[in-house]
Amino acid sequence: MVMAEEEESGVSIQLEFPKGRVKKIMALDKDVKRVSSEALFLVSRSTELFLQFLAEKSAQVAIEKKRKTVNLEHIREAVKRHQPTRDFLLDELPPPSQPTKPDRPTQPAGRPKLDPPPRGTRRIDLFFRKPELDDPAQAQPPENPAQAQPPENPDQDQAQSPVPVDES
Amino acid sequence: MADSDNDSGGAHNGGKGSEMSPREQDRFLPIANVSRIMKKALPANAKISKDAKETVQECVSEFISFITGEASDKCQREKRKTINGDDLLWAMTTLGFEDYVEPLKGYLQRFREMEGEKTVAARDKDAPPLTNATNSAYESANYAAAAAVPGGIMMHQGHVYGSAGFHQVAGGAIKGGPAYPGPGSNAGRPR
Repeated sequence: MVMAEEEESGVSIQLEFPKGRVKKIMALDKDVKRVSSEALFLVSRSTELFLQFLAEKSAQVAIEKKRKTVNLEHIREAVKRHQPTRDFLLDELPPPSQPTKPDRPTQPAGRPKLDPPPRGTRRIDLFFRKPELDDPAQAQPPENPAQAQPPENPDQDQAQSPVPVDES
Repeated sequence: MADSDNDSGGAHNGGKGSEMSPREQDRFLPIANVSRIMKKALPANAKISKDAKETVQECVSEFISFITGEASDKCQREKRKTINGDDLLWAMTTLGFEDYVEPLKGYLQRFREMEGEKTVAARDKDAPPLTNATNSAYESANYAAAAAVPGGIMMHQGHVYGSAGFHQVAGGAIKGGPAYPGPGSNAGRPR
């Protein structure tokens, strides 16, 4: 019997996953006893959102690696990049396959070493070495100038000497 | 009818059903649905390898168990028996998927509107509930309406229940929903 999977356009209330199957997966947990219809609806819808998210991130990884087909490694990388998803899912993923690309041996660089200079040859830059100059400081210390003697102040008021008067 | 693998009827899933036992297949969501949603999220020229599809199939089952386990723990701490919508929104926030909460509230709003419309049309409850989950009016309406359309019924381990692909005609017009918002954990990375 073929399931009717056709979907009316624009009816976003329609669930993508069969409710019975979602209910069975929820009931795998023995502690899950009863689930309301709203809860079942929310789990179905959130699973769609999660699936879209995982597909989009895997496609980004595939594009970064120049691939058109999304494969297992792209899904693993997408899971690693999202912390909440990595927490519950990384241990569940199958282990990564062994790399199939052989390692190319790197050729050693064949640079020839410089030969040491022949014996007796002086360095060529000695000719250009700046000669050391002697510049003694010949500045003499300044002598203390002799203090100028202050001129004596002449007497302006000259005392007149008395003239002796002859009485003969 | 004996146990038959009805889920392997799809063209995409032609050889898949014969490889897995019915019990094993119950642990995963159908790979056709998983592939379809993946292709919607990928560029037009992108392809998906088979082992990638199968790995993602397991990843989404792990996601359901992860979220459900956290919500169930909360119910037990609070001495409640039924997991409700708020428990799941809380669980997603706690586990680091808070980006999903706002889009889910929008969907939940529309879900409740739909449920209100279906309550009137679902007075007759023909089919008994599958598991011990709460039998809401939404599910009863789905069972009753699914019985009228042979293509919408799946026979699985002796129980009859409607598939998610079945369309029910609601009384009022349903407004178109927005495009699927992706969680913005990598805000700086353009698509």
